[in-house]
Amino acid sequence: MTPIIEIKDLYKRYGKLTAVNGLSLTVETGGIFGFVGPNGAGKTTTMRVLTTLMSPTSGEAYVAGYSVTKNPREVRRAIGYMPDFFGVYDDMTVWEYLDFFGACYEIPEAKRISINRDLLELVDLSHRRDDRVEGLSRGMKQRLALARTLAHDPQVLILDEPASGLDPRARIEIRELLVELAKMGKTIFFSTHILADVAEICTDVGIVEAGKLVAVGKLEEMQRRLMPHRRIHITMLGQLEEAQAMLAGVEGVTNIETEGEELAVMDRRKLTVEYDGDDTGVSAILSRLVTLGIPVVHFTEDVRDMEEVFMRATQGIVS
Amino acid sequence: MAALEARPPFTPPFRERLSSNPIVLKEMRGRMRGNRAFLVILAYLTLMSLFALLVYVAYTLAVNQNAYDASLQIAGKVVFGSVVGIELFLVCFIAPAFTAGAISGEREHQTYELLRTTLVPARSLVLGKLTSALSFMVLLLFLGLPVQSLAFLLGGVAPEEILISLAILLSTALASGASGIFFSALMRRTLGASVLTYAFALVIMIGIPALTLFVFWIATTFSVFNNSLPPLAQNLVLYLVIYVLWALVSLNPLAAGFMTEVSLMSGYGNAFIFVPPYGSGPINGPTAILLPWVPYVAICLFFSMIMVLFSIQIVRRREHA
Repeated sequence: MTPIIEIKDLYKRYGKLTAVNGLSLTVETGGIFGFVGPNGAGKTTTMRVLTTLMSPTSGEAYVAGYSVTKNPREVRRAIGYMPDFFGVYDDMTVWEYLDFFGACYEIPEAKRISINRDLLELVDLSHRRDDRVEGLSRGMKQRLALARTLAHDPQVLILDEPASGLDPRARIEIRELLVELAKMGKTIFFSTHILADVAEICTDVGIVEAGKLVAVGKLEEMQRRLMPHRRIHITMLGQLEEAQAMLAGVEGVTNIETEGEELAVMDRRKLTVEYDGDDTGVSAILSRLVTLGIPVVHFTEDVRDMEEVFMRATQGIVS
Repeated sequence: MAALEARPPFTPPFRERLSSNPIVLKEMRGRMRGNRAFLVILAYLTLMSLFALLVYVAYTLAVNQNAYDASLQIAGKVVFGSVVGIELFLVCFIAPAFTAGAISGEREHQTYELLRTTLVPARSLVLGKLTSALSFMVLLLFLGLPVQSLAFLLGGVAPEEILISLAILLSTALASGASGIFFSALMRRTLGASVLTYAFALVIMIGIPALTLFVFWIATTFSVFNNSLPPLAQNLVLYLVIYVLWALVSLNPLAAGFMTEVSLMSGYGNAFIFVPPYGSGPINGPTAILLPWVPYVAICLFFSMIMVLFSIQIVRRREHA
């Protein structure tokens, strides 16, 4: 995989405030990259540098191989940018809005007709083509904005909080659209506060705090790195001591706790095991418990969600 | 393939670039949509027609009930001059209204950044906004021709006067529009841009004539015109005052137009007026100076070019630390 976005030691300072503090990042072609961080972490500033709207104080960024400072026009041709607000021309219809931005990307008039039709179909707004933009719901406006970013068939979509302020249905629709676009070969680089969206659709995640990248990579890798101990809950019908003795001898088990005294009355006993190992090791533990004749009725591992990863990665610092 | 890559990018001719500028098309479409443009045109023509009628009636009543040919010709000149005068006044205050919100309005509508991430260059954005605003101004000026032509029926208006008035009107529209674009690019809010643009228009329309009168008052107070100074100083100061007054007149469209008309009526040519020799000093022969409309138009064109270039620079500039 070749990197489509490369950020090298990027700094952006506003007087004494450092919004981006030596950020380096690589985004591979074809994935969905979630750029996560608290408010004021430097996400939007980074995106504004990538979209050529802002010059970095120092450092460099490349999109599709072009420098954002030296080749801004080529970068603009390669990206579709959706800011966290929806720019409205009050007096334009949906079709005119798309057509205008198509013209801004130098798409010939004859081609724009079919492109606009396809884009409206993609974002399910064909039935609203002659309606005024200002009359659309927020979710529809967001879909229209997404269609606008696609007018010139860019390689990369840079989306700042695309699902912000949307109702659950509109949020799901946008999420599905992003997955669809990734399948079409677009690289999507988006910032969000909605961690569930990141966990759901992102192939890679970057967590930024106080202008610094504190974690980056595949979500599973990040989970493994930030939360090396897996937590396994085992429920059994007695033989608690045998189970504890067996588990204490397993390499990688770091802690064993008994829990749920109230379950004892039902002849059920529960153990929580912290284990540092892979899936094979987890499977081996279960297998040994069964081999020892321990009556296991429930064996499950905690699902470590994005929120936990985020909390582990960040410290609540705001620049 | 190598040859293809080596070929310089195709640049369409200026006319084609202008007509394919999406900003021009969008602005024109937006401006003519709805009844706003129609109402502006209606108000503009009504105001002008009433004014022309008022001037004509007032003049004929004041001169004679039985008007003869010569006085009709003067009436024609008066009506023509008045119509051009009010057109100038309107151009000075309408053109900024179309351009003061051109760039700042994009910022307020949060569309500025969207445009800046497209392939529309800064110069196309600025020139597109200015072109569309000026197109509407030109439309207004041409729609005003029938009202001006009332003066032609009365006679007394020479073709060169019409052409000179048109040059003054168009260059004023350009300069007013360009100043609006500049302040619009400079300020984040349309309100601020409008205040500065109108303040600038007021300085030109009222401040410059006030300054001209002040200089004239100083000159008369200190007896520049009545031989109270030594001959050499008298000669130099007199010409200095004439040039300063003439330069100030050349900065104001109404004054430039009025003084040009006075010079034309006095029988001078279309471009120069000759100041007779006065006293004994270094300047001792008739001195040719340009009629005010010539420097006025040149100043407007130069000023507009500077304003447009500054505006492009401001739009092109990215946010820096």
